[in-house]
Amino acid sequence: MSDRTVYLDHNATTPLHPEVKKALSEAFEMYGNPSSLHRLGREARAKIEVARQDIAAFINAKPEEIIFTGSGSEANNTVLSIFSCSSKSHECSCFSRKDVMTTTIEHPCVLESSKCLRDKGTCVSTLRVDKDGKLDLDNLGHVISDKTGLVSVMTANNEIGTIQDIKTIAKMVHAKDALFHTDAVQAVGKIPIDVRELDVDFLTFSGHKIYGPKGVGAIYVKKGVPFCPYIHGGHQERGRRAGTENTLGIIGFAKAVEMRKSEMLTETKKLLQLKARLKAGIEKNIPDIKFNGHPTDCLPGTLNVSFEGTEGEAILLYLDMEGIAVSTGSACASGSLDPSHVLLAIGLAAEFAHSSIRMSLGRDNTEKDVDYTVAKMAQVVKRVRSISTAYSKK
Amino acid sequence: MKKVLVAMSGGVDSSVAAYLLKEQGYEIAGVTMCLGVKREDAAACCGAEAINDARRVCDVIGIGHYVLDFSKEFDKDVVGYFIDEYAKGRTPNPCVNCNKYLKFGQLLAYAKSLGFDYLATGHYAKIISASGGNDFVLKKPKDRKKDQTYFLYCIKKEDLGKIIFPLADYTKEEVRAIAKKAKLSVAEKKESQDICFIPEGDYAAYLRDKIKLVPGDIVNLNGKVMGKHKGVVAYTIGQRQGLGISHKTPLYVIGIDVKNNRVVVGGKQDLLSSGLIADNVNLLVDRLPTAAAAKIRYSFKETMCDVFGENGIIKINFPHYQEAVTPGQSVVLYDGDIVLGGGVIREAIK
Repeated sequence: MSDRTVYLDHNATTPLHPEVKKALSEAFEMYGNPSSLHRLGREARAKIEVARQDIAAFINAKPEEIIFTGSGSEANNTVLSIFSCSSKSHECSCFSRKDVMTTTIEHPCVLESSKCLRDKGTCVSTLRVDKDGKLDLDNLGHVISDKTGLVSVMTANNEIGTIQDIKTIAKMVHAKDALFHTDAVQAVGKIPIDVRELDVDFLTFSGHKIYGPKGVGAIYVKKGVPFCPYIHGGHQERGRRAGTENTLGIIGFAKAVEMRKSEMLTETKKLLQLKARLKAGIEKNIPDIKFNGHPTDCLPGTLNVSFEGTEGEAILLYLDMEGIAVSTGSACASGSLDPSHVLLAIGLAAEFAHSSIRMSLGRDNTEKDVDYTVAKMAQVVKRVRSISTAYSKK
Repeated sequence: MKKVLVAMSGGVDSSVAAYLLKEQGYEIAGVTMCLGVKREDAAACCGAEAINDARRVCDVIGIGHYVLDFSKEFDKDVVGYFIDEYAKGRTPNPCVNCNKYLKFGQLLAYAKSLGFDYLATGHYAKIISASGGNDFVLKKPKDRKKDQTYFLYCIKKEDLGKIIFPLADYTKEEVRAIAKKAKLSVAEKKESQDICFIPEGDYAAYLRDKIKLVPGDIVNLNGKVMGKHKGVVAYTIGQRQGLGISHKTPLYVIGIDVKNNRVVVGGKQDLLSSGLIADNVNLLVDRLPTAAAAKIRYSFKETMCDVFGENGIIKINFPHYQEAVTPGQSVVLYDGDIVLGGGVIREAIK
């Protein structure tokens, strides 16, 4: 095993920012329940409310528009579940229009949630994307109707990095008086996000993709928009999400957001340079490849590439042994051989999708990391192709 | 440090194999071959549950675990072969082909190309070199009851030095004890018995879906019609049950005549053969001796025979008549503990 670690899987999760680590270690001693009225409770509550203000300000929301959750997935599940609620309770202010629309490239937590809605009788449509992963706006225009309750389109895709024109989409949705949700887990803290400018109704995001701790996410719910809790049983989060608050997680989340405020723009420049170097290195050294995702409207650190005639997981294995962490577009571990739904949705043949590697760069990566990766990648692709029956150009 | 790629099915044997190698200080990675077999129970090797088991074991041992797609090879070289052979009226041995083309074919090629020094599996078999040099031989393992060398004769001789069988000197009981002590979750997992891609070992039902079964006559050696069969592919040489014929002496399937769509039955004496011819020969020694012990089915005992090897074919003469020499099954030759090689039985010599 190589002693070297080159972490190129930042879309999966990120290491803690040193400042976040510091903030967490300073908060370790704080154990009060934020719901308690005594001093210990108050101290915790105060930290959470400051965190809420900071996080809200980062996306130009009001503090009362932020609900903390246990993860990005929980946040997404919560938003979609509103549209299957049949409660007559006065606490529940659900929207009367229930049809839900989403896209073929959403994160599984949105796709599986919408499947669950469909099983419960909700009408769910799935919108097409083009070969770069951009939503087909004509398709949206045709399908959306006066029964549509929610349209959910992710801001940036986790696998190919494609960024949608959220502002345009939100406008089209609002023109039909429907609500709009965007899963911005991969976007908040990586690209500028302003909920007023985008004019979205729900926006979901999480802490661990931006150097914060795992186990904490958030939902932005525009003031006045119908909402219904997913987890019941307490008055926390103003009755919108029960469960004792993850004080430490929220403090770390807020610190991570604070660091993004000062570091995001310079980091974006650096990531774009590193990605260009990575892309050029791969293009120069490895034939018969295809880059996936939109060439420009793409997350700065995300690069997805298919290597004809190879198997992604064999490449991953080799790189892992060399200390390089990437991920692949195949999902063999689940026992199924279906490749990534995202890569299939942008029209890749199953075999090509199976040969894909996603690299997602982050703040600690260097040019040396990139050069090392290109060298090892060229080696393994050549080797795997030499024994491949699927590679014709040996 | 030498690198070893370990083939992991999610069962206790390959799990302990990986554990032992790790203890011995090798740098290892675990691989499960995804065969694309769609089975509800998914417990057999290659299902989602098996992959999860293998991954859990790797996590405990502290090694990487990866899943590689072998579904195309499996479809062609194992399942396709299995069906083709049955359609020809033969009784194939898919596990031999799986070893030949998948584990010690494409997976070994992966191991070599990805920079590993060895491929290891959880088979009960042994590879040693008497001189410590390059003269490797395949031998029976310590646990004779579990001996799997019958399925491994098709490994290429030049690859023996690239393969490790860590369970060579352990019994199954010892393997389970090691798994328990190492807190591997699969320690108590039950043995897989059947052919992995056939649910509940029901060959006939499986074949019915794959090959059109054409009913026909069951005849005796004189051509007299004795009954009806459901389709020749559902029968194997030596089969006694399920013929649906009442007769004063027991009747056995002694021949399958695909051309005329007939199953031939006879008495026990008609099952006997004095020899056989095998092709698809693979040798694990430089030359075959003129006498060896032959195993003509996995569950059969070895029997001494005279061996005539020529032009990629082995001809065997049995001093004592043998029952149920079955085309499609493998014949494997031994000299004591050493596996000499083997081939696929093409025809029985009456």
